[in-house]
Amino acid sequence: MMDQPSHAFTKTSILPKPVAPSGPLAQYIHCLRASFGHSLTLMLRRQRIIFAAVITFLPVVIPLAIAFLSDSQFAHSGMDVFSKMAGEAHINTLAPLLALFFATMIIGEDVESRTIPLMLTRPMPRSAWVFGRFGAYLMVSTAILGTSMLLTFGASTALSDLAFDRDGFEKLFTYELAMLLALMANGALALFLGAVTKRPIIIGLIFLYGWQRLATFVPGVVDFLTIMKYTTEMLPVALESTNQVVREEILEFKKQQYLVGASKAAITLLGITAVLLGGSVVVVRIREYATDRAAGT
Amino acid sequence: MSTIISAKNVSKWFGEVVALNDLNVEIETGVTGLLGANGAGKSTFIKLALGLYRPSRGSVTVFGESPRNNAAVLRRIGYCPELDTFYDNMTGYEYVYWLSRYWGMSAKHAQVAAEQACDRVGMTERMDDPIEEYSKGMRQRIKIAQALSTDPDLLFLDEPMAGLDPQGREEMFSLIRELGDNGYSVVVSSHILYEVERVTDNVVLLFQGSIMAHGKVREIRSLIDAHPHTIHVDCSAPRILATHFVQDESVLHLDFEGESRLVIRTKDPNACYARINAAALEPDVEVTRIHCADDSLQAVFDYLVK
Repeated sequence: MMDQPSHAFTKTSILPKPVAPSGPLAQYIHCLRASFGHSLTLMLRRQRIIFAAVITFLPVVIPLAIAFLSDSQFAHSGMDVFSKMAGEAHINTLAPLLALFFATMIIGEDVESRTIPLMLTRPMPRSAWVFGRFGAYLMVSTAILGTSMLLTFGASTALSDLAFDRDGFEKLFTYELAMLLALMANGALALFLGAVTKRPIIIGLIFLYGWQRLATFVPGVVDFLTIMKYTTEMLPVALESTNQVVREEILEFKKQQYLVGASKAAITLLGITAVLLGGSVVVVRIREYATDRAAGT
Repeated sequence: MSTIISAKNVSKWFGEVVALNDLNVEIETGVTGLLGANGAGKSTFIKLALGLYRPSRGSVTVFGESPRNNAAVLRRIGYCPELDTFYDNMTGYEYVYWLSRYWGMSAKHAQVAAEQACDRVGMTERMDDPIEEYSKGMRQRIKIAQALSTDPDLLFLDEPMAGLDPQGREEMFSLIRELGDNGYSVVVSSHILYEVERVTDNVVLLFQGSIMAHGKVREIRSLIDAHPHTIHVDCSAPRILATHFVQDESVLHLDFEGESRLVIRTKDPNACYARINAAALEPDVEVTRIHCADDSLQAVFDYLVK
């Protein structure tokens, strides 16, 4: 169709003809890299990244404070403290927060700054645009949160029962992996909300901190409709008692409580991420984003 | 000339608000002015042609294909939006550079394209400054630069003269004419008819979501012959001159402006001119100037929409 004579042009370019990538794959990769690089540049220049970093690094001081100020039984185990901090703070509180900070703006920022028409009139695959930006979010949030978790681990070694040894690193790796999956799933949700709603942060806050917390108190399987259910399932069971009998009883109790294993939870989180990313791409293709939808403007 | 944009029975509504109503138009290569008052549907039409909107009814094709999510079509299009559409904390050069990258250029090519596009719109000296520090005219120019950087075949300029100072407007007129002379197709929207008249005589007039007229300005004028024309006659004795028209049924209205001007509103301008010529031969009436306001596009527009 493009080569039909009726649409042929005899144009004398006033600027050099741009070089288009050869082939759809090259085009896709170019656009993916452009989206990633652009989004990364924007994120790193934003002041909110400082704010996010400050909040994210707060858990690092807690093990140190416990080590010096507390003499409770809990404070004796660095593993317990780290597990608590990594699970509750990093994975189930800060990961959703970073998702709200950055991922809601992956598309929402273009809507807000009215640049979305420019994006959508570029000859790029919409998925490349979405995935590139999601990749930038994942890189920034993982760098911040992962570093914070690593430092928290280091700070927890000030307590007993945790050290920079093989066991310690295995534990750390497990938590870092769970954190990555939490960032992916929460980020994909935040991205999706940014694509479909005008107030993604408010709705995200309600879901991630309202509904998810509430669902854990509701009997039955309602908590299956949360991301937190699966991120928590990824974590090694934290045993806060030093009494062997009590530890085994807690372990047995938790096994009965949690119906999803770590591997299934990981697959579920990846599935949630894939579905929400795919949904976001579909929404971007279908939805009419415009800054001025009033008639005649 | 060949058709590049074709709209067939296109309607677009947002809820209960009708933005475009059963639009049929074919826009050919060259520079085309999209004219209409605020709310006429100009931007909606452009967004349909860019594929940002889906028609509620009918179809829009650009280069023979639907533009929506169509990379092959979008690759040939440049768009300069009416509103300021910038990212925070970004220089003019970076703005053009990243948008070139999104087009699919490599980093190296995008650098060159951005520099040359900035140079083309006279922004080389300021291209490394933050956009927040730009004047309205500079912002407009950098938006044009991003649209030009990919060397599109078809360029949509939505109210490109908005906010420009007189010199900036002249530069913009010159640039659009140059683009047209070099074979680019440009669709320029404006609600100020003088602006469009400076760059093309090929216009599409929109009014309340419908095409009011389409074609050359003079062709459009011929369409409105049935509409009353207003003719201003400056003469020494306008009241005596007026007596020649009081019995003329084609004359709808006579008015006097000051002591030396007669304003005639007529359905038959040719007959009116003949009568003025005849009256001018009389010794008491010395005609110094005859002016028909309908020569300007503004008048055409006014006639059509009123």
